[in-house]
Amino acid sequence: MSGATHAIVQAPPLRGRRTERVPAFAYLAAAPTLLVVLLVVGVPLGYSFFLSLNRINPITHRWIYVGFGNYAALPGNPDLWAALGRTAYFAGFSVIGTTLLGGIFALVLNARFPGRGLLRSVVLVPWAMAPVSVGVLWSFLFAGDFGGLNGLLNDIGLSSLATPWLGNGFRALNLVALVNVWNQAPLTALMLLAGLQSMPASLHKAAMLDGAGPMRRFVSITLPWLKPSLLFITIIATINSLMAFDILWILTRGGPGSATTVLSWLGYLLSFQFFKFGEGAAVLYVLTALSFLLAIFYFVVLGPRRTLPQSSAGLAALPGGKRVKTMATLPPFRPRARLLPFAASRVLARGGFWATALVVFLWSALPVVALLLLSITPAADLIRTPATVVPSTLTLDNFVSVLLPGSVAGQVSSVQAERVPLSVLNSFLVGASVAAISVALGTLAGYAFARHEKAPAFRISLWALLLTRMTPGLTLVLPFFIGFRTFGLIDTRTALIVSYCSFLLPLSAWMMKSYFEGVPRSLDRAALIDGCSRLKMLWKILLPVARPGIVATAIFCFLASWNEFLFALILTSTPKSQTIPVILAGFLSQAQFYTYGPMFAATVLSIAPPVAVAFLFQRFLVQGALSGAVKG
Amino acid sequence: MAAISIRNVSKSFGLTPVLRGLDLEVADGEFVSFLGPSGCGKSTLLFCIAGLEDLTAGTIHLGERDMGHIPPRDRNIALVFQDYALYPHMRVRENIAFPLHQQNLPAETVQKQVAWAAELLGLEALLDRSPAELSGGQRQRVAVGRAIVRNPAALLMDEPLSNLDASLRVRMRTEIKRLQKELGLTVIFVTHDQEEAMVLSDRIAVMNAGVLQQFADPMTVYREPANQFVASFIGSPQMNFLPGTMAGGALDDTKTLGVRPHDLVPTRRAPNDALTIQGTLSLIEPAGPVTFLDVTLADGTLIKATCADPRTYRPGETLTLAAPRANVCVFDTASGVRTGALAPPSDDSLVGHTSDEAMAHGI
Repeated sequence: MSGATHAIVQAPPLRGRRTERVPAFAYLAAAPTLLVVLLVVGVPLGYSFFLSLNRINPITHRWIYVGFGNYAALPGNPDLWAALGRTAYFAGFSVIGTTLLGGIFALVLNARFPGRGLLRSVVLVPWAMAPVSVGVLWSFLFAGDFGGLNGLLNDIGLSSLATPWLGNGFRALNLVALVNVWNQAPLTALMLLAGLQSMPASLHKAAMLDGAGPMRRFVSITLPWLKPSLLFITIIATINSLMAFDILWILTRGGPGSATTVLSWLGYLLSFQFFKFGEGAAVLYVLTALSFLLAIFYFVVLGPRRTLPQSSAGLAALPGGKRVKTMATLPPFRPRARLLPFAASRVLARGGFWATALVVFLWSALPVVALLLLSITPAADLIRTPATVVPSTLTLDNFVSVLLPGSVAGQVSSVQAERVPLSVLNSFLVGASVAAISVALGTLAGYAFARHEKAPAFRISLWALLLTRMTPGLTLVLPFFIGFRTFGLIDTRTALIVSYCSFLLPLSAWMMKSYFEGVPRSLDRAALIDGCSRLKMLWKILLPVARPGIVATAIFCFLASWNEFLFALILTSTPKSQTIPVILAGFLSQAQFYTYGPMFAATVLSIAPPVAVAFLFQRFLVQGALSGAVKG
Repeated sequence: MAAISIRNVSKSFGLTPVLRGLDLEVADGEFVSFLGPSGCGKSTLLFCIAGLEDLTAGTIHLGERDMGHIPPRDRNIALVFQDYALYPHMRVRENIAFPLHQQNLPAETVQKQVAWAAELLGLEALLDRSPAELSGGQRQRVAVGRAIVRNPAALLMDEPLSNLDASLRVRMRTEIKRLQKELGLTVIFVTHDQEEAMVLSDRIAVMNAGVLQQFADPMTVYREPANQFVASFIGSPQMNFLPGTMAGGALDDTKTLGVRPHDLVPTRRAPNDALTIQGTLSLIEPAGPVTFLDVTLADGTLIKATCADPRTYRPGETLTLAAPRANVCVFDTASGVRTGALAPPSDDSLVGHTSDEAMAHGI
């Protein structure tokens, strides 16, 4: 992304350079990652394509090969067109929303002010939270009778405005998209911030001295600089919003009616509710194709222009002697007429900035504070009518019932609440294993990719990695389910670890590749000359140097695994392997009023590690975004 | 073009003082270098003049105007950055025209002025390239073009040659000097390269740790450095410093002698009015026009001398070195301040005395 611009400006491309022989070590290092990607992504992708060519009777399990019949039937299906329209609206809303909001966030966070570190962490929280946790929080805030938003309106005397927020179809679609923006905007902000930070400070200073004001500088300097980052950000935001699933599952489940049934939900419905695997797979493949086409479209519209290779001609001596052209007569320099005195406009700008920073803070923090408040509110308060946000008392009972079920005499934890401690443990074990495996293998592969990018084998596999990053999980989950069932791994943590590794390994390899590209090659050579083997060189020299990148990668992998919902939902069925997002979703589908309190306590538990990470490792996360990390 | 006057300027970053009460007057059309080691505050002072940094105390005037509350964009000052800061997404033509567009000049004027600057700097063939397609020297020229195209009141340059290779650096500095004379520019040039400063400047401001050490024309700075810091910073190889006792008993330990290697040559028969030093030749370093001789003195001090033709010397032999007494600086050992040149030996008295004339040039 922005790193690429830098390279373009600073170093001319080296052409006609003799290709280096790729050592066997590089192939060995990249092999595990490529193998996993091929086996665990390539095969299922092919399998699900095969599925889409069949019609499968859900009762008799009979397969009928129909060729492209499923695809041919799609255009005649009015549901599909309606879903396509809603998908377009939802994606458009999300992409524009996240880009605008993320842009404002990034500009605020790029400024130097006391408390910047804190604000950066706070802004990251909505993104670090699992979409499921986000959904649980907002579904209560938007709820009809007892909802937080209505409660607030009652409290401030505007009860006439209270309404079941998700009851109206079009409003529900907008609100779901808005929640998606709330969840995703920090990611855009993070990547834009990384782009802003890579911008040499001298550019803005030069423009300032050239007489450009703040708006002019934003349009003429900042925006063009961010253009390559914006390309990737729009691609990612588009794919993420096309594939949005968790939030829909929690908030509206495609309803009311079919008002929020987007393509991904339609594909899910067909596959896993109606068990029309073939038709479902076809819909999901259309979705995949759509995201590829959009990515290509963005690339054509926003992509980098080809630059001519640098001229090898030397610098001609300055023309001496007589010159033909004369200086134009410039009018005497006139400073701008100012509306306000310098000091006043400065104060005004400062005030405006702090106001924006405050709004950004409240936008990110208020819902999370509401969640914390809900988790220490007695369960009975949550279903009072008329609703109010003022708790009658504060209590830790909710936490006790989910953390230590059965420990307090006379207090009964619900069945779902009793499952929480084990699910947290499951989430931890899965997250830690996934992070460890992905980082170990991804580092090896990342090193090989970084050092031998030009070798044909690696060039092709890099494209393959990029491709897997664009593949929606929904397309993969069904073949995974069938595969794990075949091997008897269904409903195990191992199944989760394997599947998470399959889509996090490419991410991890990509991040590490970007990081190693910043490590000078001379370090490798020095280590080799000093007598290290290649493995020892990697272990003794490069790993310590790349530690920040490794930490960032590990965090990204852990968070992605901790927050994942779809695979966990499909691949697990009993508490022994269910992770916390699944348990949270379970609370919601049981919809027992007396478990609302424990549900919020469990939600707080589910966001605790990500939030802690956002606060402790905020710097690493910005770094990770800088090295091109992209996680949904 | 305008004169710049810097009065009692101080600047701190947080609690760290960077500039401490500087006073400088730069005349209209003058070429002034800020010279000093990295971290001495020279670039900060430059950015203060440009308005990119706020002053903690003091004032800066450009011509008659106090720049105190004038934002950078309204100062009419141009700056060439160390990394050139060419706008990467604009072609050379657009880069050069950018400051003119900000003044809302008619398109015709902009075109004419850009054509003028391009011809002046030999950039005509490159106008439609992007900065990425230029070599270092070409980028440097575009940066200069963008700076002079709007006829600024003053041109500031922040180590503009430091990213170029050696031979190009020498060529570009000649070009800059020629341009400055031709256009009558007021230039402030920041550098840590003393040779660059000597060659280019009408006057050099030597700075250290946020304090102005000396502000004088290049030869004065070279021959009559205000103090030991200036003496050691200017001139390459560095000036030799010797205890005052080596002046043949004329001085004691409270004084330190400074002898430039170029003034110190081996001799068979030392002239009367010379400072002579004996030592063992330990290393011969031919540098082309001169050859440097590393000589070890009896107390183990290593000093550098020069000779034109080293072929008659062998390492290990004992040499007598001589320097004209008028070219030997005398410093106060405690304060480092130059008190004058070494006086000629007088027959009637062995009491050394130092001339005061150098004090006039110092601070």
